[in-house]
Amino acid sequence: MADFDITDAGQFEHFGTESVGDSDWITGQHPMDGLLRGERLPHIWCQGCGLGTALTTFIGALQWLEAEQGWDLDKVSVVSGIGCTGRIAGYVRLDSFHTTHGRAIPFATGLKLANPELKVVVMSGDGDIAGIGGNHFIHAARRNLDITVICVNNFNYGMTGGQVGPTTPHGAKAVTTQYGNFEYPFNLPYLAAASGASFLARWTVIHARRLEWTLREAMMYPGYSFVEVIAPCSTSYARWNPEGRGLDPEKLRRRGLELMKHYQNIGKVAHGTHPKDAAIKVDKEGAIVEIVEGVFSNEPKPDFQSAIDEQAQVARERWQAAKKMLNERSQIPQRTDIIFRTEVQLGGFGGQGIVSAGRIIGQAAAIYDKLEACFTQSYGPEARGGAAGSQVVIASDPIHHPHLIEPTNAIIMSQEAYTKYVPKMATGATLLIDDGLVTLSPDQRQDLKTYGISATQIAEELGNSRAANTVMLGLWTAIIGAVSKSAMQQSVAKAVPPKTVEVNLSAFEAGFKKGLRYQVNNTL
Amino acid sequence: MHSMHSHEGLLIGEHFLLGDYAAAEGAIMAGCRFFAGYPITPATEVAERMSTRLPQVGGIYIQMEDELASMNAILGASWSGAKSMTSTSGPGFSLMMENLGLGIMLETPCVLVNVQRGGPSTGLPTLVGQQDMMQARWGSHGDYEIIALSPNSPQELFDLTIRAFNLAEKFRTPVLVMTDAEVGHMTERVIIPPPEEIELVQRPLVRKGDVEPDHFRIFRDPETGDDGQVAPMAVAGEGFRFHITGLTHDERGYPAMNAEASEWNIKRLVKKIRLHRDEIIQVEERYLRDAEIVVVSYGISARTSLWPIEQARKEGIRIGYLRLITVWPFPAEQIKALAKKIRAFVVPEINAGQILLEVERCAAGQAQVIGVNRLGGDILEPQQVLSALRAAAGKPDTTKADKC
Ligand code: SF4
Repeated sequence: MADFDITDAGQFEHFGTESVGDSDWITGQHPMDGLLRGERLPHIWCQGCGLGTALTTFIGALQWLEAEQGWDLDKVSVVSGIGCTGRIAGYVRLDSFHTTHGRAIPFATGLKLANPELKVVVMSGDGDIAGIGGNHFIHAARRNLDITVICVNNFNYGMTGGQVGPTTPHGAKAVTTQYGNFEYPFNLPYLAAASGASFLARWTVIHARRLEWTLREAMMYPGYSFVEVIAPCSTSYARWNPEGRGLDPEKLRRRGLELMKHYQNIGKVAHGTHPKDAAIKVDKEGAIVEIVEGVFSNEPKPDFQSAIDEQAQVARERWQAAKKMLNERSQIPQRTDIIFRTEVQLGGFGGQGIVSAGRIIGQAAAIYDKLEACFTQSYGPEARGGAAGSQVVIASDPIHHPHLIEPTNAIIMSQEAYTKYVPKMATGATLLIDDGLVTLSPDQRQDLKTYGISATQIAEELGNSRAANTVMLGLWTAIIGAVSKSAMQQSVAKAVPPKTVEVNLSAFEAGFKKGLRYQVNNTL
Repeated sequence: MHSMHSHEGLLIGEHFLLGDYAAAEGAIMAGCRFFAGYPITPATEVAERMSTRLPQVGGIYIQMEDELASMNAILGASWSGAKSMTSTSGPGFSLMMENLGLGIMLETPCVLVNVQRGGPSTGLPTLVGQQDMMQARWGSHGDYEIIALSPNSPQELFDLTIRAFNLAEKFRTPVLVMTDAEVGHMTERVIIPPPEEIELVQRPLVRKGDVEPDHFRIFRDPETGDDGQVAPMAVAGEGFRFHITGLTHDERGYPAMNAEASEWNIKRLVKKIRLHRDEIIQVEERYLRDAEIVVVSYGISARTSLWPIEQARKEGIRIGYLRLITVWPFPAEQIKALAKKIRAFVVPEINAGQILLEVERCAAGQAQVIGVNRLGGDILEPQQVLSALRAAAGKPDTTKADKC
C-alpha cells in the first residue's frame, strides 16, 4: 500500500460552498422536507460523508416522536458546536443554535435549565465534544441534566482538513500524524459512563434503522443520554487510512459507501456491553477491525431538575423565615449631630468575631443612625495565620476614601494585632484593648488614650466566651460616642444568632458600663 | 421561564450590604432568574449570594465547570427567555471573552459582572485592580461595540446592575459591569426601593402568533423591516424554528460567507450602540464650569479622587470632575469639547494607563493628559492624586493638606 504524500493535503476540496438560501430545494416530495431548511440546501458536506445519514436518522426519530409520542417539535431545540457535524443545526428546521467550538453542551445547559419544557439535543462532532469541549461533556454527564448528546465520531477533524483528534485510533494516520498517531483515543461511551451517564449507546451509520430507534429512546430518556454515531469521513480520514485506501480519490461517494460496507463487516452488535469493553479495536496500522455497537446502558436515575425543584422548596421556606426578621426591624430617630471622619481599626485573631464586630459598628452607623459608614475586612495573606482585621470609616458626610488613613481609634484583642496596628494610629487616637489578652509594651505611645477591659473573661462569666467582641463594642460605644447606644444594640441583636441575643446584649451592657465609668474616672 | 414574576422574595429597604451582594440583589430586582458562574476571588460572593437567593425567587443558580461554560450557559438561558448573568474576575474574564463574542454576535441580552483584581495572569487574587478596562472594550476578537458600566459603591453596584440589565434587554447585547475588588468587597448602606418604583426594560420579543414563522427574521424588525436596528427576539420553543450562528450571518440568522454579509452584520452590531450613545452614556460632573484641569476617572478611583479634588479647590486650583459611570461607549464628544477649554486632564486609575489612552485620543493634543497610576494591589493614595493635581496646576507640592 503506497503511502500518501503530505503535499497532497490540499488536493481535495473538503466541503462544498455555503448555500445562502436563494434556492429552495424543498419539493414537498420527500417525507423529511418539513424538518429541513430547504433554503439552505444543498448542504456543505462531501459526497460519501456519513453526516447525511446521521441527520436523516435524527429527523426520522423526531418524526416518530411527533407521530407516535405526540411530541410538539416546536419545543425541541438543537445545539451544535463547530465542525462538519456542527452544521447539522443549520439544516434542521427546529430552533437551532450553532455556537462556539466545544461549547454546545453548556449553551444547551442554560437553554434547558431556563425552560425545562424544552427538549434539548446537542449534536456535534468528536473533536468538538471530546476535544475542545471534553470538560463540558463529562460535567454534563455528571449532572445528569435531561439533555441528549449525539456525538458523530469520524475519527478526525474533518472540516479543517483531517487533523488528528481525541478519537483517532492509535497508529492511524491524519494530516498531522503522517507517521501514525502516537496518542491513544478516548472510548467515548466509557468516558461518559465514568462521568455518570446512564444512557449510553453507539451505532455506525450503516445501522441507520437501529440508530434511529436508539435516538428515539435517547431523546425520551429522562436524564443525560449519550449516543455515539460512527460515521465515515470520506474526504479527510479515509484517504489516509487502510479502510479507504485503494479507492479512487476522485470518487468520494464510492469511498463513503465502501467505508460503510467495512463498518458493516466489522460491526458487532452487543447490547448491554460494559462500556469498558466497547473500545474500538484496531490493528497495528491503526486500521479499525471491530466496532462494538448497541445500547450499552439504559438505567434512569434521578435527574438534575428534580433535585433543583426540591431545593427550591427549602429555599422558599428559608426566605419566609428571613422575611419575618426583616419586617421586625425597628426604627430610631435620625441623628442631627455631625460626626467627623472616624476611622476604626479592629484587630485580633480568627474566631474572636473581629470581622463581625466591625460589621456591627458599620451597620449601626449606616442603617440605624443614618450616618455614612464603610466597612472593609482584610482578605488574603493579611488575614492568614490566624490574624483577623477589619476596618470601619464613619462620618456624617459621604466617605470618599474607604480605607483607613490614620485610625482614630482601635479595638485590639490580640498581642499580634497590638503590634501590627498601634504604630499606624493617628496622634492622640483612642486604643481599646482586651487587657486579659493584650499587654501594653513598655514603650507604649504616650499620645494614645488607652482603655482596657477583660472582655473575654467577662464574656466567659456571662456564659459565652464568643461574646467578648460584644463587650468590646459596649466599651467602644461609651468611649468613642460616634454611634448611638440604641443603634449599636439593635445592630448587635440583628447580627448575632437569635439564641445568643440576650447574652450578647448583656455583654454589650457590661462593656458600656465600664466605658461610662472610664468617662468619669479618666483612662487606664 | 419568562420575565413576569411575583414580587415574592425580593429584598427591599435599607441594608448594610457587601458590594458583591448588592450586585446580586440588583440582578434579582432586575428580573434575573438565571445565574451560571465559577468561583473566583473577589467575585465569588456574587455567586454565593445568587446560589441562596435565586431559588427563593424561582430562579436557577448553577456552578459550571469553568468560565467558558458559565458564559455559554447564560447565553443559552437568555435564548430560553431568562434574564441571565454571570460574574467573574480577571482570569475568568479572559476565559469568557470567547463567548462574550458569541453573545454579541447572537445579539443576546445578558450581564457579566467583572470584579476586577490585579493582573496579569493569576495576579493579585484578593487585591484591587482596574486593569481589565481595555480588555472590556476589545477582549473578544473581531469588531464590535460594547457597553460597560463602572460603579463606585455597593449602592451603585445595585443600581448599575439593574441598568446593565435594562441596557442588555433594550439593545439585545451582553453588558459588562466593570467593578473591582474594593467596591465588591466593601460593605455600605444600600437602599433598595420597592419594585414598583424601579423601571425595568424587557427585550423586544416576538411571541407565538405575533408573526407567521415563515415571515419571521431573527435579525429584522417585522414592522419596520429595518435591519440596522435592534430587532425583536424570539426565544426557543415558540414555534419560530429560527436558526442562529456565530458565523457571519444574514437577517434570518443563516451563515453568509461573503464581504457584503460581513458589512451588514458588523454594521448592525456597531450601529445599534453608536446610534444610541447619548442614551447609554452616563457621567457624573462636578465643578466643570470653571475648571481648567479636569479629573477623568471611574469606579473606585473616581471616588477616591474626590477628597484630593476638594482639597485642591480649597487651595485655589480650579479642578473639575468627570466620572465615567458608563465607560464604554466612551464619552468622546464631551472630552473633545472639554479639551478645547481646559489646560489638562488628570486620569487616576489602578492600571498603567488604559482609559488615559482614550482621553489622549480625544484630547488630540489640545490639552495635556496626565495619568496618576497605581499598578494594582491598592487604591490610589489621596496624597498621590493631590500631588498630581498640584503639579498639573503648576503649584509647588509643599502645602500641607487637611485631613481627609
Ligand atoms: S466529515 Fe469528512 S466527509 Fe464529512 S463533510 Fe466533513 S470533511 Fe467531508
